[in-house]
Amino acid sequence: MKRKIGKLLSVLDLIMVEETVFSHQIHTHKKDITNLGKAKPSVEASIGVSEKWDAREAGREVAETAIQSLTRPPDFFLLFSTIHYEKYGGFQELLKGVWEVLPKKTPLVGGTVVGFLNNYDVYTRGATALAVSYPNMDVAIGVTHNIKRKPKRSAKQNAKMIEKKLAHSTYKNKFLLNFISGAKVMKIPGQGYRKVIDSGLSSRFVTIFFGLSQYLLQKGPGREDEFFEEIIKKIPNYSMILGTSVDDYKGIRNYQFFDTTISTDSAVSLGLASDLNVDTYTTHGMKTTNIKFKITKLSRDGHIIQKINDQPAVKTLLKLLDWPEGYLNEKTMFHRILYYPISLHRHGREVPVVMPFILKDAIVTPCLVDKSEVSILTVSGKDLINSIEKNINHFDNIQPEFGLFSTCGTILQTLGYKTDLVRKTILEYFKEKPFIMFFCAGEGSYSPINNIHYANMSFNSAVFGH
Amino acid sequence: MRDDPIAKVLDDLLKFDDILACMVARRNMISVMPSDGTDSFKPEVIQIWDEVKRAMEAMFSGINECRNIGKIDFEVYDYNALMYVFPDTDTAIVAIVPSLANKGLIDVELERARKKIQKIREDEEKNR
Repeated sequence: MKRKIGKLLSVLDLIMVEETVFSHQIHTHKKDITNLGKAKPSVEASIGVSEKWDAREAGREVAETAIQSLTRPPDFFLLFSTIHYEKYGGFQELLKGVWEVLPKKTPLVGGTVVGFLNNYDVYTRGATALAVSYPNMDVAIGVTHNIKRKPKRSAKQNAKMIEKKLAHSTYKNKFLLNFISGAKVMKIPGQGYRKVIDSGLSSRFVTIFFGLSQYLLQKGPGREDEFFEEIIKKIPNYSMILGTSVDDYKGIRNYQFFDTTISTDSAVSLGLASDLNVDTYTTHGMKTTNIKFKITKLSRDGHIIQKINDQPAVKTLLKLLDWPEGYLNEKTMFHRILYYPISLHRHGREVPVVMPFILKDAIVTPCLVDKSEVSILTVSGKDLINSIEKNINHFDNIQPEFGLFSTCGTILQTLGYKTDLVRKTILEYFKEKPFIMFFCAGEGSYSPINNIHYANMSFNSAVFGH
Repeated sequence: MRDDPIAKVLDDLLKFDDILACMVARRNMISVMPSDGTDSFKPEVIQIWDEVKRAMEAMFSGINECRNIGKIDFEVYDYNALMYVFPDTDTAIVAIVPSLANKGLIDVELERARKKIQKIREDEEKNR
């Protein structure tokens, strides 16, 4: 029966995985040649922000504030918003507001995030945008749907859409922002949405229906890590950052923006080819402790740690941490577990993650992992601040024009308004040049030199400049 | 109250699902309420209000004693009262939230509200 349903869904999938190509090469080859011998044009980049509650008004304001200082039409428009507009007019209204102001056909991608910071402040409600105009830049955007069902296929299609327009660009420095629908919590019958499931029956339910729920309902981990690995395989010459679209960290719903449309369970991408230097980098403040264990049993899909050191996973973890039974519950989960991430492994590389869901006898991981030795890590607020300093120092040799940061929402949750210290550190480097850091739940970076990094509680930066 | 800019900042805070009640208060006195008074408070606050008020009074005594207190967070049953004190005063924004609320995210909004109210008070002071 299960096989039959699977077959039927595969057929449906072929129909359902829509492919939308919407790419722009605003500046043609010809125009590039006419520019030869002339002085390099200036980069115009600007941040928009709105805290208005009404979705339409906020859309209008975020676009107005983003483009008002540009003397040319923007070549792309990145839009991030918190989930609140769902209740105050809806995201279609937010986009309508944006398009009342934004020049038609401007490539636009974005989506919902936990919060964001920019040159002005830290926000957990509102919308922000980055508008950039630069003649020596080609732009392509792409979108694919049903990401949690077929992440690899989605990545291949996205890569194709971007490459279709940028493969023959005369500009050699290529960048890709991957912004993907993040994890959605499964609703447990009789219990609702929970992060700690201490009932044996409900835990068994989750373990059995985990893969099916992901496939049928698209509830479960975002599978952004699988998408990311695949798209890097397809277009390894791009520097990339990865971010996920989420709500206010409840993990119930999220929305992605593409041109004039709103969708969910989608992956949107922004590809750039320009003569600007671009570099990406990941840092995290997590430190290894001497507490180690070995994953000895993993679920078939590689997402649930069932046994560690040949013993039931949760009991053994609590023993290793010297925590009493019941210490992790719905109320205490985030205060306690956030400061004890674990260092997992995937294809030989280290993947530090936060444990997002605890079942009675098993630990759910946010990404695919291998059976291997695991270290318990620890992190403090100070470590996080040091980590962003280290990240920014990496870009000492670039004179920045604009920047994008995809960062773990747990950092915003941990630091609260002290996240402003992160903003001040970045501001010191960027000065009046615009930047946005958006907070998500599953992030990473890649560059042909630094290779792939996927880590929770991390800062992933992309700096564009000279 | 309707045109009070501080009340409008409180109105905005109350739009968050997890902020059940909020006000600007000092010892023995609620200085500013949202525009609708207590009407816009979420109903579950009523059952814990007396307990919270008593505890708040005790906390304000502490604030009076020690002017360097920035924030106080205390738990009453399944709720938390968060007090954000205005620098060098005995006055604070008080917000009541469920204990399971994401306090990191609420902290950002309450700090920003504190800054906004601080600015309103300073502007009012200048215009006096």
